[in-house]
Amino acid sequence: MASVSFHDIEKSFGSTKVIHGIGFDIKDGEFMVLVGPSGCGKSTLLRMLAGLEEISAGTIAIDSKVVNDVESKDRDIAMVFQSYALYPHMTVADNMAFSLKLRKADAKTIADRVARAAKILNLDPYLQRYPRELSGGQRQRVAMGRAIVRDPKVFLFDEPLSNLDAKLRVAMRAEIKALHQRLKTTTVYVTHDQVEAMTMADRIVVMHDGRIEQIGTPLDLYDRPDNLFVAQFIGSPAMNIVNGRLRRGGGGAFVEADSGLRWPLGSMAGADGQVVAYGIRPEHLSLAEGGVADAVPAQITVVEPTGAETELLVQAGDSQIVLVTHGRPQVKPGDKIGLRVDPAMVHVFDQATGQRLAA
Amino acid sequence: MKLKHVTAEAKLLLIGIPVLLWTMLPIYHLFLFSISPKESAFAGKLWPDHPTLHNFEVVFREQHYYLNHFWLQLWNSLLIAVSVGALTLLVATGAAFAISRLRVKGGRLVMNLALLTYFIPAAFLAVPMYKTMGNYGLLNNQWALILAMITIASPYSIWVLKQASDKLPYELDEAARIDGASPLQLFRLVYVPLMMPSLVAIGTYALLLAWNEYLYAFLLLSNEKQITLGVALGNFLAADDSPWELLMTVGLIYALPPAAIYYAFKRYMVGGLTAGAVKS
Repeated sequence: MASVSFHDIEKSFGSTKVIHGIGFDIKDGEFMVLVGPSGCGKSTLLRMLAGLEEISAGTIAIDSKVVNDVESKDRDIAMVFQSYALYPHMTVADNMAFSLKLRKADAKTIADRVARAAKILNLDPYLQRYPRELSGGQRQRVAMGRAIVRDPKVFLFDEPLSNLDAKLRVAMRAEIKALHQRLKTTTVYVTHDQVEAMTMADRIVVMHDGRIEQIGTPLDLYDRPDNLFVAQFIGSPAMNIVNGRLRRGGGGAFVEADSGLRWPLGSMAGADGQVVAYGIRPEHLSLAEGGVADAVPAQITVVEPTGAETELLVQAGDSQIVLVTHGRPQVKPGDKIGLRVDPAMVHVFDQATGQRLAA
Repeated sequence: MKLKHVTAEAKLLLIGIPVLLWTMLPIYHLFLFSISPKESAFAGKLWPDHPTLHNFEVVFREQHYYLNHFWLQLWNSLLIAVSVGALTLLVATGAAFAISRLRVKGGRLVMNLALLTYFIPAAFLAVPMYKTMGNYGLLNNQWALILAMITIASPYSIWVLKQASDKLPYELDEAARIDGASPLQLFRLVYVPLMMPSLVAIGTYALLLAWNEYLYAFLLLSNEKQITLGVALGNFLAADDSPWELLMTVGLIYALPPAAIYYAFKRYMVGGLTAGAVKS
């Protein structure tokens, strides 16, 4: 068990700088997810922590001990790779025992640890098989088993579920989370999938272009995104964004879209006339029934029932808006409707800087 | 659909059978000579009137002037071929591992130099090599031939093994490093086992190259107790009454080990040697 801290980390490949001064701490036992689009530097950051990439500037510490110049094998970490990286010529048992054998553990310790890991991961029946004889999910579990037997200070996961099909991915997601709850080992998990990040993390680091956009618990990021990037990256379907100008006066505040439509506001931040991006999540919109005063007029383009929910794609002014309702509204494409906005759930960002306007 | 398949196969057979016969014909002659008595060796028959194993008896008992050291020379061939195979593997595997997996600086340069050596036919280097071995005082020492053959076999071997090892996923090395493997442990416990098919192919290649070598063996070794069987065969031609039937018998015997090795490792040869055929 250990804490991890990154301090002013920079990374350059040749003259290209890919990480621009990143710093944050991971608490003992925390499940931290690094998420961001491909090329944002999240894997590079993880590989620096693993000791697989040189650190161009800054320091990385595990349990307050700076590890910049410590070899991978002496950092007491274990890593699960996207491609599993199982040794093809070794059985499952040998794969898991490999690191202990290299560390000259005695045969009994090795046997005990492998048996324990196999039990946790339900790999008992496969111990004498070779990786090629296993399914994707089983290989993934062997890769985790190889990490568990080490009993390391930190687990590192590099997009471990990307090679699995959708159904298996959901199952393994739950397994990894359950494993963490059981072992309580500090974990750093890299993914590009925001759903994985949301469902698994204690805290999430959202990265973009080698910088941190925001750090917080999943619901923090969801409810109070610091900027437009996080607002649009977290959540599925993504947050609706309407560009316009902030207006205040008489009865209250609203955002006047470029098309002239008025979108109601709850927040009191921002100055009159400021150019803003108005954000509202699909589930915070509903169909206005009867004459609601500040409903936004729109026209239905597509209706997508999924059973539990219905997703509506509507056109409001020149914006495409998605809304999600739990019911089964009796509407069809072409219908003219009114959108009701929950003003308390509106997010407003400065259009130029992308930063959230503080309430 | 099926008929089309059959005609396509028939066409291939029409080409294949003549080529096979053409290839087999000299070997058949070799065989005929070896089972014919001396008098009827040139009779020109498809099968001798009195086939005999007498020639083999003469060879195995070393009962001819040119065959006085048959067993010793066969042993020389074997020793040299196996040494070349093993040492070339050592050199080439180490180089390929360092360049491909440890990514040492200057690796590209070494690869390009290895490729460059293809441009010079080995025969052109025979005299310089003779001179070099003379400088080191290795002439008429079997090490001269072994070293020369390693020199000739290594560039190609390095190239093929480097290409093959580039295909191993790099994550394996990283996983092993995190698991605590030193470069040597990585080499021994992960790299070599995974490269086995290519290693068998390259080892066989170098071994057969040395086994079949004539020019260098002829130049670098002259004592008849040092020479390989291949060179000894060449000496037969110096005789006034060349004992063709014995020459052919020894030739047949000499051709058997390579054939056996090819047969044993054929599954590796095809995959292993083409693995590096295309620069990827």
